[in-house]
Amino acid sequence: MRDDGQMPRVDLFDLDHAPITVQDYFTVGDPGPIVAALAAVPELMAPTLGFIGAALGPGSIGVRYKEFAILRTSVLQGCSYCIHAHTTVSLDAGLSNLEIRALRGEVALEVGFPLDDERALIGWIDALAGATGPIPDDVWHAAQRYWPQHSLVELTVTVGATMFLNRFATGFQLPTAPHVTERLVAAGMA
Amino acid sequence: MSDTIVSTGTIAAAVQSGELPARVWMYSNYHCNLACSYCLTESSPRSERRQLTAEQMIAVAEQARELGFTALGITGGEPFLLPWLPETVLAMAEHLPLVLLTNGTLFAGDRIERAAALAHPDVALQISLDSHLPDVNDMARGPDNFAKVVEAVPRLLARGVRVRIATTTGGPLDSPALSPLQHLVASLGVAEADHLIRPIVRRGRADEFGLGVQAVARDIPCELTITGDGAFWGSFGPTVRSGRLDTDLLLTRTILPLAVPANALLGVLRGMPEGTDARLGIR
Ligand code: SF4
Repeated sequence: MRDDGQMPRVDLFDLDHAPITVQDYFTVGDPGPIVAALAAVPELMAPTLGFIGAALGPGSIGVRYKEFAILRTSVLQGCSYCIHAHTTVSLDAGLSNLEIRALRGEVALEVGFPLDDERALIGWIDALAGATGPIPDDVWHAAQRYWPQHSLVELTVTVGATMFLNRFATGFQLPTAPHVTERLVAAGMA
Repeated sequence: MSDTIVSTGTIAAAVQSGELPARVWMYSNYHCNLACSYCLTESSPRSERRQLTAEQMIAVAEQARELGFTALGITGGEPFLLPWLPETVLAMAEHLPLVLLTNGTLFAGDRIERAAALAHPDVALQISLDSHLPDVNDMARGPDNFAKVVEAVPRLLARGVRVRIATTTGGPLDSPALSPLQHLVASLGVAEADHLIRPIVRRGRADEFGLGVQAVARDIPCELTITGDGAFWGSFGPTVRSGRLDTDLLLTRTILPLAVPANALLGVLRGMPEGTDARLGIR
C-alpha cells in the first residue's frame, strides 16, 4: 500500500489552534489526524467520536469480528489510511498475518478463512461495503444461518461507520502516522 | 464538557444568575475603511468580509431574547459599510437593546442621516477615540480620524442618537494622562459613564506589532460572539492573524439555532475552574 506522500487537504489542528470546546482532546498528546481534522467543526467532535467509538469498539461480537468488518470494508473502499491503521489493530486483536492478507485481498479468502461461518460473515460485509443496491437473499440467508440478528445489526453499524471514516480519511488525504508505518514494516505487512 | 446538554430554560437561568454573560455579540463584517495598527481583526478595505447576513443578525437577536439573553452588541470591521445596516439594527432592537460599535468616520455631511435613523432608546453607538491629541489618535487610527469623530459626535447627539466613546490604551487604565481626553469627551456632550477605557488586547494585528496585554484564552471576557465563521467564547475571540482566523476560542461552527453555541458556551464555562473571570479590564 502506498501513501503517495500526499498532503492533507484540510487543516489538522494542534493544541494552539484547537477550539476551546475540544481542547481536552489535544492536551494528552497528538490525538491523530481524524480528531485533528474534526476540530474544524468542534460541535461534531463528541457525537462523531462517540458514534465511532461505539461502532468500532469491541461491542458484543468482539474485536476479532469487528476487525473483519473494519479492515475488509476499508479494503473495499480503497482507504489506505484505514487499511494501515487497522492492519495494526487487527494484529493486536490476534488475527494472523494470513488472515489479514486474506481480508486485504492478497490471498484467497478460503485460504485465510476455512470456516463457513466466518466466510458467511465476510460475505455479508462484502455485500454491504463492496457493492451498491439491494443485497442478494442468499448472502443474507448464509449470514443469518450462523449469526444472530443482533450480531449482524451490530456489525452492519460497524461497516457503515467504517465507510464514513474511509471517505473522511481518503477525501481529506489524512496521513498515516509514522508509528503505524513502522509497525507495518516490522510486521512485514507494509 | 462539550457534550453537556442544556435546555433553553437553563440558558435563561444561567443569564439571570450571572453565570452566563447577558450580552450576545455579532461581527457583522470584517472589512473596514480604516486599518488601525492595533486592529484585532486585521481589518482594512481589502480584508475578507466574513459577513453575517441581515437575516442571520435578526434571527440571532430574536433567538437571543427567546433564550434569555438581555442585550446585543454589533462590531466589525466597520458595520456602517453594510448598506442594509440601519434598518437591520432597528429590526434587532425590536428584540433587545443593543450597542453598535463604529469608528465614526463615515458620517460626514449628509451621511450622518444614516446614523441618525438609529435615534432609538434601545440603540447606542460606541465610537472609538484614543487621544485628545489628534496626531497621537491618528497615528494608530489613520489620518483625519480625530477630526471626523470630534465632528460626528455632537451631530449624532443633536439628532437624538445615543453615543458612547471607547478609548483603547496601551498604558494604565487610570493614568492621569487620560484626563485631557476625558475632558474632551465630556465637552462633546458624552456622559462620563458612557466613556469606556480599555487596554489593547494582544491578538490580531496588535500581536504582530507586539502591542498590548497578552491575553490567554481564559483571561478574555466571556460573551457569546457570533460571526460568519462560527460562534466564539468572547468578542475578542474571532481575531485574525496573518490573514488567518484564530480558532482557539471557537465554540461551534453552527450559529443558528443560537441554542447550539449558547449551550456549548455554558458547557465550557461549567467545565472551567472558579475565578477565571477577566482580570485584565478588557470590555
Ligand atoms: S480597529 Fe476598528 S476602525 Fe480600526 S481597522 Fe479595526 S475595525 Fe476598523
